[in-house]
Amino acid sequence: MTGKLWKWGGIALLMVVVWRAFTTPMQPGLVASEVDKSLDIWEITLTSAGYPLDFNANPSDPQHSDFQLVLKSGDMNTGIATYCAEVTAVESHRIVGRFTPPDTLPAPSMDVYLMTPGAGSLMLRHAFSVQGSIQGLPAENCALGEEQPYLLPTTIPFQPTILETIRNLMFHVPMWFAMFFIMGLGFVASIRFMLSGDIKFDQRADAAARTGLLFGILGLITGAVWARFTWGAWWVSDPQLNGALVTVLVYSGYRILRASTADDDRVPRLAAAYNVFAFILLVVLLMILPKYNESLHPGKDGSPGFNTYDLDNTLRLMFYPAVIGWGALCYWIYKLRLRMIRVGRALINR
Amino acid sequence: MMTAAFHIARLEGRLALRKAHQLAAIGLFAICAVYLVFQADGFKQADAWAAQLWVVYLFSIFSAAGRLFDREQGPTRRYLQWAVQPRALIGGKLLYAWAMTGAMTLLVFVAFYLFLGVPEGSHISLGALIGAGFWGAFAMSTTVTTVTAIASQTQAGPAIAAVLGLPLLIPQLILCTRMTRELMAGVPWIASEHFVFLGSLGLGTAVLAVLLFPYIWRS
Repeated sequence: MTGKLWKWGGIALLMVVVWRAFTTPMQPGLVASEVDKSLDIWEITLTSAGYPLDFNANPSDPQHSDFQLVLKSGDMNTGIATYCAEVTAVESHRIVGRFTPPDTLPAPSMDVYLMTPGAGSLMLRHAFSVQGSIQGLPAENCALGEEQPYLLPTTIPFQPTILETIRNLMFHVPMWFAMFFIMGLGFVASIRFMLSGDIKFDQRADAAARTGLLFGILGLITGAVWARFTWGAWWVSDPQLNGALVTVLVYSGYRILRASTADDDRVPRLAAAYNVFAFILLVVLLMILPKYNESLHPGKDGSPGFNTYDLDNTLRLMFYPAVIGWGALCYWIYKLRLRMIRVGRALINR
Repeated sequence: MMTAAFHIARLEGRLALRKAHQLAAIGLFAICAVYLVFQADGFKQADAWAAQLWVVYLFSIFSAAGRLFDREQGPTRRYLQWAVQPRALIGGKLLYAWAMTGAMTLLVFVAFYLFLGVPEGSHISLGALIGAGFWGAFAMSTTVTTVTAIASQTQAGPAIAAVLGLPLLIPQLILCTRMTRELMAGVPWIASEHFVFLGSLGLGTAVLAVLLFPYIWRS
């Protein structure tokens, strides 16, 4: 019973994670702004993504007084000016405000803050710039309002660059973790085979390499989808991506090596030596080299990891079970593959 | 063991010199490849120039060191298994491969320099270029030797060495290209991270080759 519990437990965990990953809404966030400067009173239109902005808004209030739209210019060095706009229209993913352009500003670029009645405070940096503004203080007509209570149901965090694709975190990253785990098992099995000569360790290494390769390919596919959305290309030249591709190619070489050697007695020794070589290279290429080279990939040199900013508790509640679930699925596939290899071997020897 | 390794490297050198036509064929291949790039006339930019140099070099060293274990078959193999420690054998092969690819460096890099010159605005001298070549040769030759040792035990012919070796050589090629670009941009080699990574990768591969070879050499 216990032998089956981890399998079905892992699958159940994975199903819950997949369901939650695709049904949990994203926090609202501002993604774009447009300013119409053709009249004396300027009009700013903000577009949002994620949960609707008008959540908990009072529909019978034509003044939209439960929203506050604040423009901010400057920083701690140049001085800060805050400037309020009058909210004139609120839709689910669009909000419009009007304001008289200020005479003086500490800096020509303006950030936008939007206080909503239930969806918290939203911010868009460098929402627009004021050409020809005269530098100086003060130019403010209001102050930032108090933080509104956050009343939304469970949401995943809003991350301006990756937006809804943050859900891929529950697939891409755990798949690589699972690959590392199973390749590590294969590495240990290969070393044990070299020390003992026991064929069962070679079978374990073979099954682990096949399963790891599958998860490596899945990791590449999910990574490419993410790269297309975030960086605008399916593939970019990056140390982490290069390392991932080389790892998959090297383990493909392992498969070819096993298949190309007709002499059965030599296969385990050659494969064990190559597997040890491949795994050490995998560690160097995926864990060491990217740390010391500038990389676009989160968690490497020049790019903070998810756990630095974005892995809030909601995401953790999905991410950690996803790691366990994908790990269990990977191990299950490995066990099935191992059984197939053993059955195949027994049939040949019969 | 070091003495035995040195003797094996010298023996390999002598045997190679006896078959001078094979060395000449490798040299001819390298010169032809460089001349082909020269005719393509599209590699004046520093990035493309460096990448092309190393790609030509890669195929040249595969020709040079890809058949390193061809002689160790049948009776020769049995004799060596009886007479030489496996680690001394692989050590000797590594030394020979480095010397051989070092010679290829001279040929390919000088030919590249003569035919194509260096891109405008780059600050690299022929000496620095050859130095980078020797460093790249060290790193790549260790990988090619290790892979050739594994491939020679299979019955799939020399093609398997290329199939196994090319993925392993991609990171080294990238490091070599970036190191060359840095040198061309005037970065001193001692300040180049890629120089250190490349050396570490080469050294690590050599150590792994020496450690693992006895397992694949045993019958």
